[in-house]
Amino acid sequence: MAQRGANPSARPPLPWHQRKPLRALVYHGFVGLFALLMLYPILWLVGSSFKPPDEIWTNQTAILPQEFYPQNYPNGWAGFGGISFTTFYRNSLFYATVGTLLSVSASAVVAYGFARLRFRGRRFWFAIMLVTLMLPTQVQIIPQYIVFKQLGWLNTFYPLLLPRIGGSAFFIFMIIQFIRSIPRDLDEAAMIDGASKIGIFRLVILPQLTPAIITAAIFSFYWTWDEFLVPLIYLNSPELYLVSLALRTFSDPSGQTDWGAIFAMSALSLLPVFVIFIAFQRYLVEGISTTGLKG
Amino acid sequence: MLRKKAFFIILALALFVLPTLALMAQDMTEVRISWWGSQNRHDRTIAAIELYEELNHDIDIVYEFQGWGDHWTKLSTQAAGGELPDIMQHDYARIEEWVANGLLMPLDGYIESGAIDTMSIADSSLAGGMVDGQMYGINLGNNSEVFTLDTDAFAEAGIELPPLDWTWTQFEEIANQIHDSLGIHGIGVLTSDQLWKSQYMGCCDQWSYAADGMSLGYEDDQPLIDYYSMLLRLQESGGMQSYEDSVARGDQGVEAQLIVSQEAAMAYHWSNQIVAVWNASGAERNFVMYPIPRPEGGQSQNYIKPSMFFSITSQAEQPDAAAAFIDWFVNSVEANEILEAERGVPISSVVRDALLPNLGAAQAEMFNYLGVIEMDNSPIRPADPAAHADVVNNIFVPEFVEPVMYGMISPEDAASYLREEANRILAAQ
Amino acid sequence: MAAATLNKAKRRKKSNFGQDNLVGYLFIGPWLAAFLLFTFIPISVSLLLSFTDYNVLANSGEFIGLDNFQRMFFEDRRYWRSVNATLKYVVFSVPLRLVFALGVAMLLNSYRRGVGVYRAAFYAPSIIGGSIAVAVMWREIFGNDGLVNFALNLLGIDGPNWLGRPETAIWTLIILAAWQFGSPMLIFLAGLKNIPKHLYESAEIDGANAWQRFLRITLPMLTPIIFFNLIMQLISGFMVFTQAFIVTQGKPLDTTLFYALYVYRRAFEQNEMGYASAMAWVMLMVIALLTALVFRSSSYWVHYEAGDGS
Repeated sequence: MAQRGANPSARPPLPWHQRKPLRALVYHGFVGLFALLMLYPILWLVGSSFKPPDEIWTNQTAILPQEFYPQNYPNGWAGFGGISFTTFYRNSLFYATVGTLLSVSASAVVAYGFARLRFRGRRFWFAIMLVTLMLPTQVQIIPQYIVFKQLGWLNTFYPLLLPRIGGSAFFIFMIIQFIRSIPRDLDEAAMIDGASKIGIFRLVILPQLTPAIITAAIFSFYWTWDEFLVPLIYLNSPELYLVSLALRTFSDPSGQTDWGAIFAMSALSLLPVFVIFIAFQRYLVEGISTTGLKG
Repeated sequence: MLRKKAFFIILALALFVLPTLALMAQDMTEVRISWWGSQNRHDRTIAAIELYEELNHDIDIVYEFQGWGDHWTKLSTQAAGGELPDIMQHDYARIEEWVANGLLMPLDGYIESGAIDTMSIADSSLAGGMVDGQMYGINLGNNSEVFTLDTDAFAEAGIELPPLDWTWTQFEEIANQIHDSLGIHGIGVLTSDQLWKSQYMGCCDQWSYAADGMSLGYEDDQPLIDYYSMLLRLQESGGMQSYEDSVARGDQGVEAQLIVSQEAAMAYHWSNQIVAVWNASGAERNFVMYPIPRPEGGQSQNYIKPSMFFSITSQAEQPDAAAAFIDWFVNSVEANEILEAERGVPISSVVRDALLPNLGAAQAEMFNYLGVIEMDNSPIRPADPAAHADVVNNIFVPEFVEPVMYGMISPEDAASYLREEANRILAAQ
Repeated sequence: MAAATLNKAKRRKKSNFGQDNLVGYLFIGPWLAAFLLFTFIPISVSLLLSFTDYNVLANSGEFIGLDNFQRMFFEDRRYWRSVNATLKYVVFSVPLRLVFALGVAMLLNSYRRGVGVYRAAFYAPSIIGGSIAVAVMWREIFGNDGLVNFALNLLGIDGPNWLGRPETAIWTLIILAAWQFGSPMLIFLAGLKNIPKHLYESAEIDGANAWQRFLRITLPMLTPIIFFNLIMQLISGFMVFTQAFIVTQGKPLDTTLFYALYVYRRAFEQNEMGYASAMAWVMLMVIALLTALVFRSSSYWVHYEAGDGS
């Protein structure tokens, strides 16, 4: 930010509301209030995670607990029969990290193919790719289960990770749209300099894709972190369970449920996703202003 | 470059190292088991399993557990893939469907040979696991429907506790009195399909389904109409929580019952749930458990239901070892001291007597209540027909309960539509 | 199609963009391999199952022709309720999410102090996704004495029991969706960052005001991203599942019984995978048709810097 201040010519024109201090106040008042409203439910969740068991349903609306009860956290973290959230976090971090690396890197490569290269069947395969997004997973689960069973991959991470070598249709399409807004002059200039298609991808396209790739990484991490249906089906041993699965394993509508522990672990499970977001979002702001100038 | 390297290392980890974690010991008998539940049940069951493995060094119990809804999604996928575990926890409302599809193994042989010892178990406790004359599930705890009364609220309202054989008329009066004097509801909604299923036991010695499961089991819609007319009156007066309010609150488990937050003075639930209700309410509260009210001059609408079963699947690889484990789980005092009747009152009288001295207040009330029900109940009926879930999910709730309680259709019209559609589904299975 | 591509290539001065068959398949190879290995079979099987009465527990089914389709169109009342609920959700939630996402992205696309905090605050609701805690929380907010009615009360309005009334329940889910606008917002932000700054500078020199700059530069330059977000929100709108699954379970009176939820229920509660597959394929057809229409329309309103509309 300091850098940008030092170089006023690179700065975009100020929007109307930024020109006077009063307007800045209006901006912060309005956006700040709105932000607070957006955060209210999360504050409620965190507040409730400190309520003792006999307060959760009797003092439901309040954000602050009457009696501060941090015990929910160790109770929840203990997990089930000696398998604690340490295990679940390790599994989830592994899965979300590797899954994101696979999905996003493959998506960028595939997207370049669809966006910039002309080959026979391009439109056909692109349409097929979009169609795969339109069929609910629920009706694919059983045939897929039988395929992975034949491959001997039940109770492993293979069924969760290997399909990602092809990227994800959502990110591929998203990155395609970003590539298509990059001027072709750059490609052509590089080509005149003798760059191959692969060279163009590496040297011209990839550096311009930072915002798209960062966005994809943020989403992918969160979606992988949150995924439960496919892990539920393929991971049998509790030693392999993920945080998302463990959270759903806490409660039984017909039996005894430790809601305090659920709230505590739910609140805690937001943390890694939030950290990833905070760590990456600044690249959304900073990395790009220079590339914009290049074009 | 460095990033690339790191990436490949992680990839290699993913592909080769992790699955080896799943490798199991070779020369032991491996029994796979799967159940649903919450943290409490998982902890206790795993502790019991560990004890069993200690006592039997040649047995390795491999367990999987999940929440209620996920249990069925996962297990039916495993069934289609031929990957069912040896032992699965099963439910009274679903067992017939699984038996009809040949997925469970009859246990009669194990009971005759004594591999599953039933010496100290009453026949009535085992009857729930019978489908078409054969035993497919061993009951893990006795349960019965219950009306729990908040005695402090009753005292505050100046209402005397009713007799144990109270009637629906008395119930309606009490619910309204509570509302009038305390400004809270008498009770939460009473539209559960459980109450519909047992509805005809009280008046007419019938059951919602015919014995062969191919049609409804009651001839006269009138008792059902009368019951729902009463619910509509109570909803109107405030004696019962409105259906609308119950939908808005949703099904958030036992702990969210109105009696917990003192928004009602009575609650309807399963007897083993009293532990959860009492925990969530606080130890200083006082509750007493009552049977379901009965029609004027009618008989008990309560029956003793298996809370859940352990069944051996037909895809089991180690049925004998599985049967031995079930036998121990049900009959061992040591095991049940760990399990602490979390799945309901143990069916073995030996186990029950051994647990009695160490019970907490809620559990003591539960044991005591089951004793009351054992003295006066209606016999359990055949397990629900395979189409039960279809009837309840697609007809009873959306086409009967909801339109009636929202006042969109009269109980009379809804009851006859229910009959027509339910019979169509039942006949077609 | 090959001819069209060739023509296009000819039209360009340099013929460098000719056929890239080999490199093209090299680049999309990973996707193609994963598709053929892991997705093709399940998808094809589900299409076949839609013409059978396949039951999961029985693990068998017979070919029954078009009976499943006849059943859903003419005999299943709940099917049409689920169609109704889903359409209503799509019609309202998709534009709401897009407008919110774009509006907030514009607000946050400035370099003032604290904008990072706001960005995090606006994205936060989108990461709490599908946990059970969301259900409890959302019910609490829209409950009889919840936050929403408390606020309405201050304005002198007596709020309804939102989740309990058939007229209002679906709106709580639409609002939930609007509240979770974080992902399209981030994509818009990334898109805004990609707009070359010199365009704004020259516009300002020409004396364009903020509104004019938005209309002439931001909006057209953002159309590829708007197009992407529209398509994706449309698809995910039709496939909406989690909100209803965890919060309302389709109640009351099936007014929130979303299509995908009904498919799931039929598939895993009644084990009627054949019927569920048939329903899923009907939805696929509808979404595919709509997506194709949006793609058709895109040549009229989507502006690509790269200069090709294909």
